[in-house]
Amino acid sequence: MLTFIGLGLYDERSITVEGQAALRSADRAYAEFYTSKLIGTSVSDLEAHHDVDIEVRDRAGVEQHPEEILEAAESEDVAFLTAGDTMISTTHVDLRLRAHDRGIETRVIHGVTAQTATSSLTGLQNYRFGKATTLPFPYAHGAEGLPASVTETIDANREEGLHTVVYLDIKVGQGPTSSQNAKRSDDKVGHERTEDDEYMTADVGAELLAEEYPDLVGVVVARAGSPDPLVAAGTMTDLAEREFGEPLHLLVIPGECHLLEADALVELAGADRDALDVV
Amino acid sequence: MGRRKKIVQECERLMDEPENIRNIAIAAHVDHGKTTLSDNLLAGAGMISDETAGEQLAMDTEEDEQERGITIDAANVSMTHEYEDTNHLINLIDTPGHVDFGGDVTRAMRAVDGALVVVDAVEGAMPQTETVLRQALREGVKPTLFINKVDRLISELQEGPEEMQQRLLSVISDVNELIRGMTQDMDDIEDWTVSVEDGTVGFGSALYKWGVSMPSMQRTGMDFAEIMELERADKRQELHEKTPLSDVVLDMVCEHFPNPVDAQPRRIPRIWRGDDESELAEQMRLVDENGDVVFMVTDISMDPHAGEIASGRVFSGSLEKGQELYVSGTAGKNRVQSVGIYMGGEREEVEQVPAGNIAAVTGLRDAIAGSTVSSVDMTPFESIEHISEPVITKAVEAQTMDDLPKLIETLRQVSKEDPTIQIEINEDTGEHLISGQGELHLEVITQRIEKNQGIPVNTGEPIVVYREAPQEGSDEVEGISPNRHNRFYISVEPMSQELVETIKLGEASMDMPEQERREALQEAGMDKDTSQNVEHIHGSNILIDDTKGIQHLNETMELVVEGLEEALDNGPLANEPVQGTLIRLHDARLHEDTIHRGPAQVIPATREAVHKSLIDGQIKLLEPMQDVRIDVPNDHMGAASGEIQGRRGRVDDMYQEGDLMVVEGIAPVDEMIGFASDIRSATEGRASWNTENAGFEVMSDSLQRDKTMEIRERKGMKLELPPSIDYI
Repeated sequence: MLTFIGLGLYDERSITVEGQAALRSADRAYAEFYTSKLIGTSVSDLEAHHDVDIEVRDRAGVEQHPEEILEAAESEDVAFLTAGDTMISTTHVDLRLRAHDRGIETRVIHGVTAQTATSSLTGLQNYRFGKATTLPFPYAHGAEGLPASVTETIDANREEGLHTVVYLDIKVGQGPTSSQNAKRSDDKVGHERTEDDEYMTADVGAELLAEEYPDLVGVVVARAGSPDPLVAAGTMTDLAEREFGEPLHLLVIPGECHLLEADALVELAGADRDALDVV
Repeated sequence: MGRRKKIVQECERLMDEPENIRNIAIAAHVDHGKTTLSDNLLAGAGMISDETAGEQLAMDTEEDEQERGITIDAANVSMTHEYEDTNHLINLIDTPGHVDFGGDVTRAMRAVDGALVVVDAVEGAMPQTETVLRQALREGVKPTLFINKVDRLISELQEGPEEMQQRLLSVISDVNELIRGMTQDMDDIEDWTVSVEDGTVGFGSALYKWGVSMPSMQRTGMDFAEIMELERADKRQELHEKTPLSDVVLDMVCEHFPNPVDAQPRRIPRIWRGDDESELAEQMRLVDENGDVVFMVTDISMDPHAGEIASGRVFSGSLEKGQELYVSGTAGKNRVQSVGIYMGGEREEVEQVPAGNIAAVTGLRDAIAGSTVSSVDMTPFESIEHISEPVITKAVEAQTMDDLPKLIETLRQVSKEDPTIQIEINEDTGEHLISGQGELHLEVITQRIEKNQGIPVNTGEPIVVYREAPQEGSDEVEGISPNRHNRFYISVEPMSQELVETIKLGEASMDMPEQERREALQEAGMDKDTSQNVEHIHGSNILIDDTKGIQHLNETMELVVEGLEEALDNGPLANEPVQGTLIRLHDARLHEDTIHRGPAQVIPATREAVHKSLIDGQIKLLEPMQDVRIDVPNDHMGAASGEIQGRRGRVDDMYQEGDLMVVEGIAPVDEMIGFASDIRSATEGRASWNTENAGFEVMSDSLQRDKTMEIRERKGMKLELPPSIDYI
């Protein structure tokens, strides 16, 4: 049995009760933190809290060499953990399909994810979101400037009056100091960086977006799921100048706002009502 | 004022009169007497003393050159010569004849408008004669012919007038046949064959310093019979005084070589792809000394005092100290610290060097041989292509740790000076690789590192460079990214020889306007649709993007290219470079979000697709070959041809030439290592031989697997081949 368990948004207590029970009863637990990370805890705290051993796999260990996980799952109860929800903004459906190929039973235990937290914290209605996109570090995607896929997504959503979630790049264990990315890294400053981890902060994201959309209103959602989440609205130029504290951050670009959505942005995010497109 | 100073002043005066300038190169097969001839010219111009000309080899300034008795670097010199009452400025470049240094010859040709091709009367036109002619003609450089060592026909071989005439005429007709063959497709060149009647052929002896040509006979009244008589009677000094070689040759240079004003309008379109209607093009055609500065660097050398010296041709404007100039391919500008001209081995600083001249400049720290240096941002000149790719590699490491940084710097310098050298720096192991044109080439380079830079080095055995290439078209193959959300569909096919040549010569490149590239590729046989979809050229390989309207592919293409280059630089058989392959991208499936189609996904997926399709196309190992020509007395012929056959070689032709037999064949470079000493002992030192790189050929099937494994072992690769490689 292979159980995909979402760890939720922030620390060792963000997992659901069902997830916790499944994790604690598993024979073996694997985790990956290259797609996202729990900012409020560490692997050893997780292990201590749930009294389990967790083997953290890097990208190659999941994508190119999943055999070990799959072989274990053929005879034992194996838990596969990620931050947020295991299937949202990840590519792990591939792992689930490989398990099915081998006749392994699988199940998914959901976790709270940034996608829903964003709706919750901003008051923007989940019905009114269009396609989401990720803003990569300039060194991490192939071309100069903003990737077309980012601008195309934002433009298409705006055309339809829909909101856009812009995820901000996370590089865990493969930041610019790691050898793989050393040659790509430029001397861009201003984003949070530990030795090998790197999180794009909302001000940096806004600065990149301001190249194309200087006066567009964006909403920063920072540390969703933590004890001190922050929601703040402003133009991209504006947001680029501000600081939003510890990661993780993301940006929302509101489309047309319903009356109550506008009220919420003014009240919860300090938005300037006149700058919003209220219908 | 010393004589030398006077000459410099005279040169400076003449530099402003392009009509009276001739920029020429002397080029020939090795040992046909270029350098000795150059010395004659220097002596004739009063630059070295008459007596020492020939022994002095003033142009061979490096110690190793004088020791080996051959020219290794192209050397420059300026001199003056009075012809028809007008003083002319002659900028001369002496070039190496040994095949390993062919890159120097090609670069020298870019700087000049005329090439004096020297041929040994006894040996006749040899393989390198053909090569230097081709190098000259491709650059739009006009040839004339000097037949050297005629004294040997008279005194040594005791030939009579008729015999001699026949021999000389056959040399001329051989050379003309080459010129005709090479120029027949060149629309901008009329008839550049040489003839005695026109005065474009001279004869003589560089060793004994006499020469003769149709115009000189008319001028001096000396005919051939008289010359033969004096030569036979050993009255060579008298012969020299009556009809000095330098006058004959320098007159020929002034009369028959184009001056820059004549030459540049023809040469600029051949070597520059910029807008021919621009003001800059007009300035270059007019050799406008007041125009924008355009300087093409053809050589970089090191001076212990002045540092790096860039020499080359000024096509427009005037070079002056203090100018801030663009260097093609680099950002920012370089400041000219000094400008000068060459006088023998030394440089003389002058105020300025105007258009139409050959200049030596310091301060251009970013320039390499081949750079375009200019006062305005411009389309660079065509890269100076030398057809031979490196075929031999040697590992070099410093003997002491302290020399490590200095060695790296020196190696970088070496590749800057000679672009036919490739270096691969490995800072982790300290074992660097240098690749070049042949054993001698690498030997000279490593010796210079030790002697000139004082860095003791250890070198490895020379290793031959291999290539990999598919033998047939492959099926469409799928490459899957590690997360399996991205897929690329690729096939490969071998390219025609003609297309490969077109790319290697730079006649089609990604630097040129798209329309021109399409036309060049179509001319080389590529179909129209394919030529319109060219996405990238890497080495001699082309990527064709046959996809239509795939969302996000645009922003992913750079990563596709990166994966492709990795796959091609390290072929699937033995990590050797892949050549001559056309890669088609048929289709791609991409993940919606950039983050899931980043480098970690796209590069391995493309690499996998390219390698799988290469294997499906039956990729095989290619090895470099050399054409071999051996001249040997009849009784050693068997031993000589045995030396070729015993090296997995093939003898193509054997024929009599004079009193010698000529054996022509081809053999793998790998087997030719150590050939010099073997042929000497096999023929008791009676053979003279010549080798020339002849490109890469597929190794025979029986050797494929063993050689592949041998290379994999040397490189520390896995010793099992992928199971799909079951055909070798």
